[in-house]
Amino acid sequence: MSSIRGRLLRWLVGPILVVNLGAAALTYLLAWTPAQLAFDEGLRTNAAALASRVRVGGAPVLSTVPADDGAGESNWAALHDARGRFIAGAPQLPGALHAGMRDARLDGEQVRIAVAEVAGTDGLRVSVARTVRARQQVRSAILRSLVLLEVLFSLALVGLVWFSAGNGLAPLARLRARLDARGSSDLAPLDDAGMPRELVPVVDAFNALLGRIDLGARAQDEFRANVAHQLRTPLAGLRLQLEWLAARHAGDRDSARSVALMLQANERMIRQTNQLLSLERAEPNRFARARLAPLDLSALVAESVQAFVEQAAVRHIDLGFELASASVDGDRFLLRDLVDNLVDNALRYTPPGGRVTVGCAALPGGGSLLRVEDNGPGIPARLRGQVFERFVRLDVGTHGSGLGLAIVRDIAKLHGAQLALGDADGGGAVFTVTFP
Amino acid sequence: MHVLLVEDDAVLADGLSRTLQGHGMQVELATDGLQADAQLQRNPPQVAVLDIGLPGIDGFEVVRRLRGRGDSTPVLLLTARDAIEDRVRGLELGADDYLVKPFATPELVARIRALARRNAPKTGILTLGNLVFDSGARRARIGAQPLELSAREWAVLEYLLQQAGRVVSKQQIVDTIAPWGEDLTLNAVEVYVSRLRLKLDGAGLALRTIRGFGYLLEAAPAA
Repeated sequence: MSSIRGRLLRWLVGPILVVNLGAAALTYLLAWTPAQLAFDEGLRTNAAALASRVRVGGAPVLSTVPADDGAGESNWAALHDARGRFIAGAPQLPGALHAGMRDARLDGEQVRIAVAEVAGTDGLRVSVARTVRARQQVRSAILRSLVLLEVLFSLALVGLVWFSAGNGLAPLARLRARLDARGSSDLAPLDDAGMPRELVPVVDAFNALLGRIDLGARAQDEFRANVAHQLRTPLAGLRLQLEWLAARHAGDRDSARSVALMLQANERMIRQTNQLLSLERAEPNRFARARLAPLDLSALVAESVQAFVEQAAVRHIDLGFELASASVDGDRFLLRDLVDNLVDNALRYTPPGGRVTVGCAALPGGGSLLRVEDNGPGIPARLRGQVFERFVRLDVGTHGSGLGLAIVRDIAKLHGAQLALGDADGGGAVFTVTFP
Repeated sequence: MHVLLVEDDAVLADGLSRTLQGHGMQVELATDGLQADAQLQRNPPQVAVLDIGLPGIDGFEVVRRLRGRGDSTPVLLLTARDAIEDRVRGLELGADDYLVKPFATPELVARIRALARRNAPKTGILTLGNLVFDSGARRARIGAQPLELSAREWAVLEYLLQQAGRVVSKQQIVDTIAPWGEDLTLNAVEVYVSRLRLKLDGAGLALRTIRGFGYLLEAAPAA
């Protein structure tokens, strides 16, 4: 992942370092050149002085120069003729063919040589050499200081860029904090007041996106409500009409049988519709907008007891309860769907005369348990992984939608609950949902 | 019992009317919100059964206007939507109960009766099977045979009759007949119910035990 701070550092620090290096080189030149000029001037003066004191007429004589001038430098002087041949002085000095300044090595040491012509002769030249020890010390001192300064300056610069990048990015961090602080279902546009001008387009684009999402969510809600209304109302009417017909023709065996079948089909359609709607309600992206509240599982089960008892009576199943107060944080409507589907599943797959028990309790270590146990045929271990898949029905002879347990699984997952399927004592299945 | 039914779907309205009439109720029908609003003022029913999705003004608005007039007629809302906001809003506006379509008929009838009883004076005579239970005179009989009941048994039976057709928990019975924290245990309720079961023999009633939960009193199915 690329970072804005990293990019700023890369693009600022590199060029600035190059510029600094250039500036350091210039500083070095500026500091060094006058020192060099002064040194050369001194040496030239010495050479000229010596040259003026060369006695001409007869064999030329060169005044001696002190080998050590007290300044820690060594000095040499020599006289050469016009062709550079040695005449007098220090023989190790190379002959010079013209006047001026030059660098050389003498006795293994760097020296500066000044050459001056002896006036009134045909090309006698005096060479004066001097070691440059002090100058080299000065130069390395200048270089050391410059390098040190450069390093310090660069470090300061990196730090400055780092902090100012952080400071410049602060509005982004504030924007993120505001987004983080939002409720999960808050799709209201962000306020761009106080936002830096550069961030306003981002906020605007983000708001446009939020708007589209909100519109989509509303359209989805509306569609769902329409589907619910358009399907459930006629199904409710059909049920009442069929019930009336069933009561009226109870004596006529053939009619009664036919009406009973129609009622069954109607019940299936009702159930299927409810299942599809509740499956949709358990969609994780819808759940994000649901409200979680502390609930008592036993009260939640109690709300559905009436419907369970009626269904159990139709199927001649002994339905019982073992309810103890058990608190969970959940969405009341989704959890009712969960309980309804687990109990419906048990009632549906337990043969007539069987026994189903619904229980809930608080767990000693915290959390709560919901338990639905039956004494039906049970579910073979190898099929247990499948039963929670959508549209999987283990018993094709039973009219189920194949959605009930998938809904249970989805809702349990949304609540961070563990869903388990095991064997009941003496056969049958036990579904347990363990809430955190 | 006079019930105002407000439902715009013709099939459902017809089915509901006949079903409720079959349970001995007089049903007046309105098919839109404004008509319902007018009928509620002209001829107040004992219970109003009100669909939320209505043409004209919706069920919420009808309830809002009704309560706005200070009218406490019990209202049972019917809706095809189970959106949380709908349920909460209906009850906040002052509806008394809420049922999602499609509903089970016994559930609907039981809820309408419960709402009617809530507003009815305590002197009503309750009948179920062969049992005639006169709350005002504190007399009960099975057919012509007077029924002798202790005070506790009387209270338990009265509550069960009021909730006939509905499952009631033992805790609900305790909370209702001993509301002031009197010493009444769940076990005691079991004792009263088992005595009642003996005494109600021959009354054409079924007093079913819902294991681990409570009881359900209903007319015994014709054998």
